[in-house]
Formats: sequence, C-alpha cells, structure tokens
Amino acid sequence: MSLAQQFGFLDEYAKKEIRRTSLKAVAIPGYQVPYSSREMPMGRGFGTGGLQLTLALIGEGEVLKVIDQGSDDSVNAVNLRAFIEMTCPGVGTTRVTGEADLIQSRHRIPEKPLREDQLLVLQVPYPDPLVVVEASEEKRKQLHGEADYSRLLVKLYEDIVKFDEITISHRYPTRINDHYVIDPSPIPRWDVPKLHMSKALVLLGAGREKKIYAVPPYTKAEPLAFEDKPFRVEAFLDERGRRRACARCGCDSSFLDEYVDSNSGHQVYRCSDADWCDEQLTRRSAPEVING
Amino acid sequence: MLEVSAIWTAQVQQQNYRALLDAISHPGWVKSILHQAGSPASTAVLATLLDAEVSLADPEGLLEAADWPLLQASTAAPEEADYILCMGSKAAQFQPRLGSLPSPEQSATLIICVDSLHEGELKISLEGPGVNGNADCAIAGLHPDWLSQREDWVCGYPLGVDLLLVDDSAVLALPRTTRVEVV
Ligand SMILES: [Zn+2]
Repeated sequence: MSLAQQFGFLDEYAKKEIRRTSLKAVAIPGYQVPYSSREMPMGRGFGTGGLQLTLALIGEGEVLKVIDQGSDDSVNAVNLRAFIEMTCPGVGTTRVTGEADLIQSRHRIPEKPLREDQLLVLQVPYPDPLVVVEASEEKRKQLHGEADYSRLLVKLYEDIVKFDEITISHRYPTRINDHYVIDPSPIPRWDVPKLHMSKALVLLGAGREKKIYAVPPYTKAEPLAFEDKPFRVEAFLDERGRRRACARCGCDSSFLDEYVDSNSGHQVYRCSDADWCDEQLTRRSAPEVING
Repeated sequence: MLEVSAIWTAQVQQQNYRALLDAISHPGWVKSILHQAGSPASTAVLATLLDAEVSLADPEGLLEAADWPLLQASTAAPEEADYILCMGSKAAQFQPRLGSLPSPEQSATLIICVDSLHEGELKISLEGPGVNGNADCAIAGLHPDWLSQREDWVCGYPLGVDLLLVDDSAVLALPRTTRVEVV
C-alpha cells in the first residue's frame, strides 16, 4: 500500500481505537488511557504518540502547525510536518499559531493563548509521574485511581529540603480536576499555568508507553506545591534583578532560550516560541496595529 | 442528509468523530452529526466508534438488522457491553459497567436516543470540566429516571459511565464528570 492511498496513513481500525481512547481520555481528565500504539515509519520516541493522535483527528481542509521546542523549523518538526503533508492530502500547514486548527507540539505550549476552536496535541515520552516512586504499573494504576499522591509529594518535599526550592524544570507534576496527577510532557514550568482552564482541548500522546490522556477545556490544572513553597515559573532575571527581554523582538513576557553569541561570546536571550517572536517583531515595527 | 452509504466512509467518520470530541469536551454543546436519510443519527455515531474490537448491547432492538454486520461489533448483554444503545423515553433496566479504580475506562458508553436536544420539557443546568461556568440545556424524550440512575452510576469517580444523548441529527454529551441539576 502506498502512503498516498490511505488518508492519514493509519488504517481505519487504528484510527477508531485512538478515537475511542481519546473520548475516554476527555471523559476522565488526566487519566492515562491505554491503547495499542501502532508501528510508525519512525522510531517511537520521535513523537509517534502525538503523530498518531494528529492522524486520527485531522481532516481535509484543516490547518496544522507542528512545533518542536517552540520552533517550526527544527528537524523533528520539519519531518513530522512533511509526513503529515504527504499522508493527508487536503490538509494545510501554517507557522502562525492563530491560523492553526490543530497544533502538534513537543516541549512547548505556544505563548499566544489558544482559542476554544483550536486543539493542542502534545508529544509525551514518559506519561506517568508516579514512576519515580513506584516501579509496578499495577500499583501505580491503583494509586492513580485512589488519587493517592502522598509518596510523590514526599519526594517533592525532599527536593525542597535539599535545594530550598522545587528544582523540577520540565515535566512538572500537575493535578487535573482535583484527581489525577499527570506528567504534562517536557514543557517548562512556564507553560504549566496555560493548562489551567485552557480554552482549547489538550490531548497528550505517549506512543512508546501506549497511553493517551487529556486536559479538557475549562478544567483545573494545578501544579503540585506546598503552602510554604509555592509553585513558581521561571523568572528570567538578570544580575540586577530585572526581567530579561528577547534580544530579537524585545518581548519581556515570553519564555526565553539562552544562546551564546558567536561573535561576542556573550549570552543572549531570545523567545523560544518562534512565531510569537515574529509577531512581536512585526508589532514593534508597526505599533499602531496592536490589538490585544 | 447523506446518501445511503456515507456514514460508513472514512471521511464522514472523521467529521463525526470530531463532533463527538467537541461534544464530550464541552458538555452541553449540541453538535450536528452527519447521517443518512431515513436512518437515525445514533447509527452514524455507532458507525464512527465501533468495530470488531468492542461490544454493543441493544436491549430495545433499535438497530436495523442490516447495520449489525457493518458495525462488526459483537453483541453483549447491557451489563457486559462497551456500548449500549438506549431509548431515552424508557428508564434503564440494567446496571452498566462502571470500570474499576485502576481501569476506569473499562466502563460503558451509553448512546441514548431522545426526541430533541434543542427544546423540551426537561431543563437541566450543567457544571464541571469542559463547561465554562454553567450550561443550560432543554431536552425532549429523556425519562427523568435516567438522571437519577446516572447519579448512582457516576458517584464513585473515577468509576462511572459516559452518556451520549442523540436526537435526529445531533449529539450532546454528559461525561461522568458533569454535574447535572434539573432546573
Ligand atoms: Zn522574541
């Protein structure tokens, strides 16, 4: 069978299973629903869980954006986008967050707030936050069912005792709808609050671990924290305690990546979200068009 | 309305799946289902979700005999089934599967045929995940006992059942997390 013959690459049985699974995932917010992840023409761990979701979701006439660490141009994003373009004729692609019906992402949630009519698919390498405290999946499933996260909280607290703060930079354990704690995928802490009461549905796919889970729209998503050590996002402060700004667009309210300037050897900071950076740059050169 | 075979095509099933996903993500939203002339929208919902991997109970005999082989689903008693096709005007006479604490997804999804999702004597207000504040709905052809039975089925979260109410042409979802108040 050639890739072009079957819209969406997966056969209709595989799509149906992913569709049934995703509906259960939305109905039980944060619960990791098992499914039989299919072989894809790329190694598991290269976003196959997210890709399978996208292929089961998308239809002709829809517009897709694929990002990896905030960039549409990284090798991973380019490969995934090319694969979807080849296997889904009639699907459009974009780099502009606001133009996308469906966004597949690894490591970031776009800075621009998503709308109710948009859908975010996150690629997940390790779906279960309880792995660090419990090796047996059977026991983890029981703990999740009971919403018993006491051992995970103890583990987090040990971190605080040792480092005087929660040092987790990515995959921050987050409680959904007052019950299940999820691994929100390797997004930075910066992105975790975007899950809370999000207008857009967020679907998370772990291909290797064969799990799909969801944060529905208008649903509580609360990072685990303690009263005396509240959850904090990255501050991006310079030596004098001022908020750093993007060296390219000047934005001082975005998640920044650190680079070393090859000419000067100095550290420079830029928006991690490439489309956001472009949009801020355009706004700065045409300030009169700013509208929310 | 579609030509006779369209609900069995991949393209229509993709669109109907997205309508179901929208519906279950936003309890209270009434989403149109593409369906064929002379056939209820519930058949299009089943065609979108079912295959040989799952089982269906049809205690009221609502499904056309000719549709069974197309669905490929095995038949099961309502107490065992993954999906149950129900008549809204008649209260449930069965205990559906609610799943278990470690595997709450091993629970039934009920497809309940009602007269209308746009207007009706039953007025309900919804709250919970997916609902921005609250959502008001008016439904015709849903026996009030369904809501009290549902209360019993969903009170042990994460165990529970998910309801898809379907009229002639549209679907409205009540996942287990939705709090329903009759107003
Ligand atoms: Zn920038």
